[in-house]
Amino acid sequence: MTFAPDRFSSRRDSLAFIVCLLLSVAARVAPPAVQDTVSRAVSGTALAPFLAVQHQVELIKASRTRVTALSVLRDSALVSAFTAQALREENERLREILQLTARLPVRHVAAEVLHQSGPASGLMVVLSAGSSDGVVERAPVVVAGGLVGVVHSVTPRSSVALLWTHPDFRVSAMTLDGSAFGIVAPRRAEGPNVMMLELSGVPYQERVPIGTTIYTSGLGGARGVYPRGIPIGQIVAVGEEQEGWSRTYVVQPAVHPAAVSHVVVLIGPAIDLREAFTEPVP
Amino acid sequence: MNGRSEQYRLVVVLLLLVVLQFALRPFLGDFRSSPDLLLLALLVYAIRARPGQAAVAGFLVGLVVDSLTPVAFGAGMLAHTVVGYLAAWGKAVFFAENLIVNAGFFFVGTWLRDLLVLVAGRHMVQSAMAWQLVFWSPIKALTTAIVGVVVLMLFRRWLPIRITE
Repeated sequence: MTFAPDRFSSRRDSLAFIVCLLLSVAARVAPPAVQDTVSRAVSGTALAPFLAVQHQVELIKASRTRVTALSVLRDSALVSAFTAQALREENERLREILQLTARLPVRHVAAEVLHQSGPASGLMVVLSAGSSDGVVERAPVVVAGGLVGVVHSVTPRSSVALLWTHPDFRVSAMTLDGSAFGIVAPRRAEGPNVMMLELSGVPYQERVPIGTTIYTSGLGGARGVYPRGIPIGQIVAVGEEQEGWSRTYVVQPAVHPAAVSHVVVLIGPAIDLREAFTEPVP
Repeated sequence: MNGRSEQYRLVVVLLLLVVLQFALRPFLGDFRSSPDLLLLALLVYAIRARPGQAAVAGFLVGLVVDSLTPVAFGAGMLAHTVVGYLAAWGKAVFFAENLIVNAGFFFVGTWLRDLLVLVAGRHMVQSAMAWQLVFWSPIKALTTAIVGVVVLMLFRRWLPIRITE
């Protein structure tokens, strides 16, 4: 390490810069299999201790939340009025996950979401469960509210999930009664905090009413990626129309990835999950 | 303070920032606006290293970032390499030892990194990219700059830097 802030760059510096640039470009254009291998190797070795630290801190945070929740129960109503809201939301999320895991008729594993801070972190997230927990590539990632994304790559102790916000995300979708089918993909951003989905390819004669909830269709059967019946979102508007051919609908996503702290990864066969996600009729 | 102890202290500060990036992540809130301590470590290193060393450091930081979120593998390496190199070069050419200038330097470095990642990655639809660059990236750059100033203030005796207010 040399401390030379007052010196201009030398030929050696330029050479190092150019080599790094070339390596970066090579990494950028490398086949996805090579990229995944390098990514997995770095995540599974050099980054493993740091991810373990982050995982432990997440656990400590969750434990602290529970301890604080107990304290809040014991404390006065005034104190709870100050702090209960955030705890209630956290507890609500954890409770929803617990209820969902009890209802799911398929093998699954719970995981913490280890959010990172890069500009692309809204498109992919690191999960605290990996292949040693049974997580496999292309496993659907869900919360009680609905679909979050799909597992993209796996290391023994962690995995990376591709979120529905990613431009490459696609899922076959349908209405609950199966009257309309289409493909759901991310739509252009409507604001800094507003990402929408779109349901395209719905036949022109099939009208889907505003407010209809859209679910994964489970096309592909038990060997498909997404099981049938996971909520994706709700139709909020009619988008583009191809006269006499098909319509596109704007879909309000069921889940906002930035607000997700815990998820469930489905690792069993893609069987029908409609009953696990739909409210039982009283 | 001799050169070797300065180096050790710089390494401690950089390691601290890297560990805090992972340890504090759950408490920093929305990832889009929270400070990026890995990038901050790179910039703190770059302003006192040679451009070539800063480029290599940037490449390694980019490799880490790309491995964590392999959305557009290589884009992070490219962006951090360029930011590291420019930071070291720019510092050598015209930066004064001033807190506000350093804050601006952290701000511009963060925003430029985001711009380069998004352009090189081409993984976002245009409207989402625009919102990211005009809304979220400036907020992230601001929080990173604020944390950077706090780090410089806290460790001003440890870092070989003369800061005037």
